[in-house]
Amino acid sequence: MSRALIEARGLCKRFGHVEALAGLDLTLNAGECLALLGPNGAGKSTLLRIIAGLARPSDGSLSIDGAAAHERTARRRIGYIGHASLLYPELSARENLIFAGRLYEVADPHGRADQLLSEEGLGDVGQRPVSGFSRGMAQRIAIARGLVHEPDVLLLDEPFTGLDRRAARRLENRLDALRQTGHTLILVTHDVASAARLAQHVLVLSEGRTVHESRGPLEPEALERIYVDALEDAP
Amino acid sequence: MRVAAAIFWKDLLIEWRSRDRVVAMLLFSLLTVMVFHFSLPGGATAKTQAMAPGLLWIAYVFSALFGLGRSFSLELENDALSGLALAPTDRGWILLGKVSANLVILGVAQAVTALVFALVFDLTLLPVAPAFAGIVLLGSLGLCTVGTFFSAIAVQTRFREVMLPLLLLPVLWPLLLAAVRATSALLAGEEVPSEAIQLLIVSDATYLIVSFLSFDFILDD
Repeated sequence: MSRALIEARGLCKRFGHVEALAGLDLTLNAGECLALLGPNGAGKSTLLRIIAGLARPSDGSLSIDGAAAHERTARRRIGYIGHASLLYPELSARENLIFAGRLYEVADPHGRADQLLSEEGLGDVGQRPVSGFSRGMAQRIAIARGLVHEPDVLLLDEPFTGLDRRAARRLENRLDALRQTGHTLILVTHDVASAARLAQHVLVLSEGRTVHESRGPLEPEALERIYVDALEDAP
Repeated sequence: MRVAAAIFWKDLLIEWRSRDRVVAMLLFSLLTVMVFHFSLPGGATAKTQAMAPGLLWIAYVFSALFGLGRSFSLELENDALSGLALAPTDRGWILLGKVSANLVILGVAQAVTALVFALVFDLTLLPVAPAFAGIVLLGSLGLCTVGTFFSAIAVQTRFREVMLPLLLLPVLWPLLLAAVRATSALLAGEEVPSEAIQLLIVSDATYLIVSFLSFDFILDD
């Protein structure tokens, strides 16, 4: 039986008078891929940022393997790939990865950067500044950045946004490969088809609350129906 | 500590490639010196020479406001600030890395400004250069520490350009008081008052400790 890796209980997050999360419960097992769906403003990215340790809950708790999400031990296990690339345009791809490796105190950041560039098929452009990269190439470097410290939990915030079909398919295959190597993935997306192909656990949020949760594989059409129904039934 | 070194290296590398901050700081402080020169009648008189240390520190603070404001705004592009906040370390090390890089960048602008200032106001800096550099270093350490700290706060607000001076200037007065007193005594050929040096050291230590410990909460959403 899989063990619970991420557990949230009564999770609330308020920004002034705005309640982004309103008492959310979540249990995610190690090695699972969770798709977080919902309209804009549903609280998906806020939940992801709390799991990443970038925000603290206003109320409730969230733990990663027993440690509070903002603790160092938890942050070390998290790889975060945001909507933005987190890269410095003035630096080359390799320099960005070396810098990220140093932030995570990786033993050999230069070697790790070369390894990741090679894995992403970007070894020949590693010395070029990121400012000249296409959205697809920057996204591949962003993924390499997220993996630089070999995390076992990967958080992805709308990673398919702005990618053409070929780049999106490549990213989907990359995420599937990561899932098969035992990584735990949490994917925030509006792309229901990709979510259905990758995730075995689906959470639909609306106004900071869970309006649907299911486990097990789903056809894209079925997930689309669940998504639309859940949103229609939402408060 | 390694995280601070990584941020120091990264910030200086970006500055070396763009040179936008150091050039802006330098131009601004030189313009300030020129404005002082033309607004004080009679050129380099004994009266203006007595005012020179205060004017020099005004130029330093204004140019620091330019550079320190940019310190965290460069982290906004591609949400690189989140990338820093994700690092599994005490976030105070992020601040220290930024402070060290700012200290070097500000130091370059200050060195050139001091040379021009000495020429314009007919000051003899060379014989007292090591002591002068020491006072400027002590003053700049506090200036950069508290300025970098407030820059991280200001960058997350709507009025970030206005917010930094509003937050920074009221907190700086003990440090500026001590820095101007020490510089005045040095340039007048008198013994530098030990109280001024003590106040500089105490201010630096206070700013460093408070900023280091509270920085963890600054980068949270």
